[in-house]
Amino acid sequence: MHAKTKPHGKKVSTYCYQCVNGPDLLTVEVIDGVATRIEPNFDLRGEHPADGKICVKPFGLIQKTYNPNRILHPMKRTNPKKGKDEDPGWVQISWDEALDLVAERLKKAREKGVLDENGNPRLAFTTGGAATPFKYMGSFPAFLVAWGPFDQSIGAGGTVKCYHSEHMFGELWHRAFTVLPDTPSCDYIISFGNNINASGGVTGVRRHADARARGMKRIQFEPHLSVTGATSSEWIPIRPQTDSAVLYAMLHVLMHETPLERLDVPFLRDYTSSPYLVGPNGFYLRDPESRKPLLWDLRSNRAVPYDTEGTEPALLGPFRVEEAIEVGPDEETWNHRNVEAPTALDKARALVSDKSPEWAEGISDVPAATIRRIANEFLEHARIGETVEIDGRVLPYRPVATVLGKSVNNGWGGYDCVWAHTMMQVLVGALEVPGGLLGSTVHLSGDTDWDRMLTVEPGEDGFMKHPFNPTSKEEWERHPVNRHAEQSITPMAGHNQGAQLFGATTLAWLRLQGRAGQNWPRPKPPDVWFVYKCNPAISFSETEKICEEMAQFPFIVAFAYQMDETVHFADVLLPEATDLESDQLLRIGGTHYFENHWVTEGWALRQAAVEPLGEAKDFSWIANQLARRLGMLEQYNSMINFGVCGVPLQGEEYDFSLAVDREHDQEEVWDAVCKAATFELTGGKEVLGLDWFREHGFKTRPFSRLHWYLFPLMQDMGLRFELPYQERYYRMGRELANRLHEEGIHWWDRQLEEYEPLPEWRDINRIYDEMIERDCGANPADFPFWALTARSMQYAWGANVSVQLMTELSENVFGHDGVVMNRGKAREMGIEDGDTIEVISPVASVTGTARLREGIRPDVVLMVAQFGQWKTPHARELKRPGINPLVPMNLDSLDAGGAMKDLTKVKIRRVGEAS
Amino acid sequence: MIRFGSTLQNYWDWRAAGNFIFGGTGSGLLILATLMSWPGPLEPAAGLPAVVLIGLGLFLVWLEIGRPWRFLHVFFHPQTSWMTREGSVAVLLLPLALLAIVFAQGWLLALTGVLAIAFLYCQARILQASKGIPAWREPAVVPLIVISGLTEGTALLFLISAVAGQPQSWTEPLLVILLAARGYAWVRYRAALTAAEAPAEALAALGRFNPLLLGGGNVLPLVLALAATALPTQQLPLMFSAALLALAGGWLSKFVIIRKAAHLQGYAVGRLRRGRPQIRPPVRRKPDRFVS
Amino acid sequence: MTRWVMVADLNRCVGCQTCTAACKHTNATLPQVQWRKVIDIEWGSYPDAHRLFMPVGCQHCADPPCMSVCPSTATGQREDGIVTIDYDLCIGCGYCMVACPYQARYKVTRPHFAYGDEPMPSEAVRFDEGRMGVAQKCTFCSDRVDEGLARGLTPGIDPEATPGCVNACIADALSFGDIEDENSNVSRLLEEKTWFQMHGELETETGFYYLWDGGKQEE
Repeated sequence: MHAKTKPHGKKVSTYCYQCVNGPDLLTVEVIDGVATRIEPNFDLRGEHPADGKICVKPFGLIQKTYNPNRILHPMKRTNPKKGKDEDPGWVQISWDEALDLVAERLKKAREKGVLDENGNPRLAFTTGGAATPFKYMGSFPAFLVAWGPFDQSIGAGGTVKCYHSEHMFGELWHRAFTVLPDTPSCDYIISFGNNINASGGVTGVRRHADARARGMKRIQFEPHLSVTGATSSEWIPIRPQTDSAVLYAMLHVLMHETPLERLDVPFLRDYTSSPYLVGPNGFYLRDPESRKPLLWDLRSNRAVPYDTEGTEPALLGPFRVEEAIEVGPDEETWNHRNVEAPTALDKARALVSDKSPEWAEGISDVPAATIRRIANEFLEHARIGETVEIDGRVLPYRPVATVLGKSVNNGWGGYDCVWAHTMMQVLVGALEVPGGLLGSTVHLSGDTDWDRMLTVEPGEDGFMKHPFNPTSKEEWERHPVNRHAEQSITPMAGHNQGAQLFGATTLAWLRLQGRAGQNWPRPKPPDVWFVYKCNPAISFSETEKICEEMAQFPFIVAFAYQMDETVHFADVLLPEATDLESDQLLRIGGTHYFENHWVTEGWALRQAAVEPLGEAKDFSWIANQLARRLGMLEQYNSMINFGVCGVPLQGEEYDFSLAVDREHDQEEVWDAVCKAATFELTGGKEVLGLDWFREHGFKTRPFSRLHWYLFPLMQDMGLRFELPYQERYYRMGRELANRLHEEGIHWWDRQLEEYEPLPEWRDINRIYDEMIERDCGANPADFPFWALTARSMQYAWGANVSVQLMTELSENVFGHDGVVMNRGKAREMGIEDGDTIEVISPVASVTGTARLREGIRPDVVLMVAQFGQWKTPHARELKRPGINPLVPMNLDSLDAGGAMKDLTKVKIRRVGEAS
Repeated sequence: MIRFGSTLQNYWDWRAAGNFIFGGTGSGLLILATLMSWPGPLEPAAGLPAVVLIGLGLFLVWLEIGRPWRFLHVFFHPQTSWMTREGSVAVLLLPLALLAIVFAQGWLLALTGVLAIAFLYCQARILQASKGIPAWREPAVVPLIVISGLTEGTALLFLISAVAGQPQSWTEPLLVILLAARGYAWVRYRAALTAAEAPAEALAALGRFNPLLLGGGNVLPLVLALAATALPTQQLPLMFSAALLALAGGWLSKFVIIRKAAHLQGYAVGRLRRGRPQIRPPVRRKPDRFVS
Repeated sequence: MTRWVMVADLNRCVGCQTCTAACKHTNATLPQVQWRKVIDIEWGSYPDAHRLFMPVGCQHCADPPCMSVCPSTATGQREDGIVTIDYDLCIGCGYCMVACPYQARYKVTRPHFAYGDEPMPSEAVRFDEGRMGVAQKCTFCSDRVDEGLARGLTPGIDPEATPGCVNACIADALSFGDIEDENSNVSRLLEEKTWFQMHGELETETGFYYLWDGGKQEE
């Protein structure tokens, strides 16, 4: 045997962060300057939740580097006409010419003012991969921040492809931008389409596999038997978009068929807003003097402010309160005397009083007995009353969790589902305690995404402080800056640096197309649009319209890897050094995203394992060049010093800051960042530079498991989880309605209805049928199938559609190469496996190969991942269909948070025989 | 038992099928020719075509192998490989047959006949040793292949002699007997595959060809051959047709077995067990020359 | 004595193909050649459908049908049970491929690469002309095992001495070790769990065991 399976070249340590589940630390074998193979970094054993194993995607990095279709030289467009069928007429140019072209446009824009005549930023930046591309952009973010306001609202798929409601409410309720079970200790998981085996990365897969080996049960509700359903204890083929019905019925079982004593009474009483009394207008009853919410004290038999010492709050009422006020929107106040006051828990009970399992059966296709059994199993497994010791602290032990998948936890009904599943946790005290449902990272409430505890501060009414976009008369953003108007219409999106990523990206496109937001001026496209590591022409909805719109953009600068569908509309292409060719220091460990709960934290280096191919350049170099050309070196360097590259270069005890008046190459930048980072990490004991990281790869220190759980911190701060009742949300919605109506804006009224203190159950199937009728002018009965998509580990984020290895690997996983249909249903329609079928939605149609399977509902078709490429080399030859062109994009499809679902109703037609 | 993934093999194509077709007919013909020519010399009109057919079959195999210039390696494993044995037999058989044409030696002729039988038997065993293909590994494939080779040889011998104007009448009853035997072997082979739960697609492929193979390739020529005996006036055309059908039927059956019913074993979930496995030692613990 | 075997835990495997990818990297196999892969299978009928992922490849049989049919003696077997192919002896007749009941063998007659006939630099560096036109299959990364042993490492425990697929498995579904050592990782797994060997009725006596609880199996 000749094959040399042992690396015989040099091994270089680096990382892959092509999706939010990263970084996966790895080593690259380099032979004679050529990267040849990838291996996990085994030094991470014991620190990383999956012992340093790496996902399938990094194995594509070698081909990604040497792909002959890569763009390796700067290029400019010579055909000013843009369109799908126009040849851009690319010609190769020098870096100087390319950078001058870009700098000239930027200069002009800057001279006219960073905001255009509509008040929108002239510069826009779009990326994908849930912002993981920032881990590849070197010091370029410092350039963007130095620039001033730039628009990130022109999305590539965010808020359509994300867990939007979970992000918004999860972070509000328990600092959980993403949620996860405490899998290593969890015994029972109810999953509504959460496809952890495909979307949870290495850590998700490993932790769940370990849990299964331990005996953990997972009940998987989903319309098709996914790779996660395959390894679950039970697969329950639920009718699409009826998850909330089953969840409400489970809440019904827990609240109406179970005595209160069997729930976690101390948790509900002391750590939630359950005992708060609610007034007739839907706002908390408050103490007229302190304006604090009231609860009923069973000891003194009267209403007292929630934080009164020595009380025994009542969970179930109602009670009669002698004197109280209610504070509504815009400080509107009601005075009450002798008013009947149900508790928040009473209100929640009332919400589901008629939502029995029998009711849900008719809606969801899930037998009532199954719903009841699972709700009771959940309760039994919750071990209410038991405790466990974590790092010296005794905490409640509640090994049960409910989790949601995409298109369950966003868009219409997302609020209902995230509220209901979090309430399941709350009722048994399994929120943010060992074994239960946890959060893993934060984005809206702060930027310490590796340790969400650092963002917790006491706020009003006994809850955590939360940065909503203001809705008061004085502070509301009357004239939207960003094109999706996140500060004006989506208060839940958060009010900080990154918040614009969570606004209604669909609205930005709709406004650009003149299809929404009529009271405001139709925005102009940005003067300069930077696009990087994303492909909205494929990944957004109604992609044909997206392409038409992009063709109107005057100047698109693509940090381009290959001639893809979005690059097709660009004006200047800047080839940046890719994953294995450039440097960047990254924070690792702690807790972040999904199942990334580590026992260490620290820093890791992504480094150039090989020289960049052709004329590809490190992103930091590009940033430097642009900053110099624009005369912005000082601002740019200052931003690096300020900490945009991950850590401030100057602290109280250290100073590694860069001279602001001159250029620094990436080596200097990252050397300084490495030193500042290790100083911070080791408390000044060690200062390690770039060379050290090049050799060792990463540096960590222990991270206490106590930081996995929010509960102990809430306990220490005397805070309550803001559940079940959403008074702040309700008030905010009413204020927003006032603001919008004052401006004569009524096109957002449907969304305003969602601002309820408790989410009344919504029939999503009906909402979609109405949308088809109202917005598409079609008959809903003509579209009997739900078309769904599912994440694929081989393709999730990463932009790996052009990597041959991924094609090859994905062919081993059923469904990648066509449209998956139920075999019985297909045969009924005369469709055989391999036949060509047309999938027709109310707005578009795609064709693909029928793939027949038993593990899918007869009323569902499935298109895995995001295909439909017509330009991207390699990918376009695969002829794999994608769901995106089919998904109608309109105002009605947006929920109050500005998110929409990744699905549509369709009909199917057989158009050709299997070859 | 859960089984899946049984696809049609694509490792051996028409060239391999050609070896079984031409080699089978050639060796069958040679066996008959030696009988006919006893005590020698071997009748060239039958012996030469037989040698050519066997040679053609082997040539097709040579075309199929990935490293044709290493063909001598085929002789390295006579201990267990039926392919080595087939090749070795052929290496002796072909020159011997030519010698038997030239020299009228009884022992030469006898040896040629024995080697031809051995060659035909090797072909059958090659298939049976292919454990990955249920339709081949079935032991009932051996009599089927051997009898078919003899049937084809007999049919071809008759055709050659008839064309030469000297139809060998003794081949008529022999063909009748062989056709009956082959029909029986075919039916038995299919029944054995069904009993062995061969892949459904393989069974279906055999079923699809059954009317053509059993009816057109065995029953019809059998009837025609019998009719030839009964109708002396029409003997030649009837017998000619019977022989042609018998030959074509044999060729088609091998093509079907090699190319149409050759579904792979596929994958399966086996019977669950508990406890420490009984370990059998590897059959050959020979030091590996790549381990120092 | 030592007999190297692999154990695949089907309760853990999620079909992600990371082992497939790692194998391709470790062994520099050409496109569409997968010495290790995971198949995605389904049985039952809606709504009682079940899906299972199963890593497959050479089973390193104690009595390998490929070896007995091989006319050139290219296919051999080591003392430790690893079934080998000598690329210099193999004539590429394909007989082993039809003899193998596990679809484990591949033959590539002409070089082809990820993006056509021309190799990328990474492919050119590792291209092995010796593998053209001959049978190839999983080697249990025998050179890693041997080099590891020579350095005093334990295959299946130390990554340097362990097959690439096992090293890469993100679900910890693949294990490698010496079944003749009663205390080895693989022996312990087989003692603790229910298992099966594929196509046991063919009496190949595989060196590849599948752990499965069979909970959802309907016979």
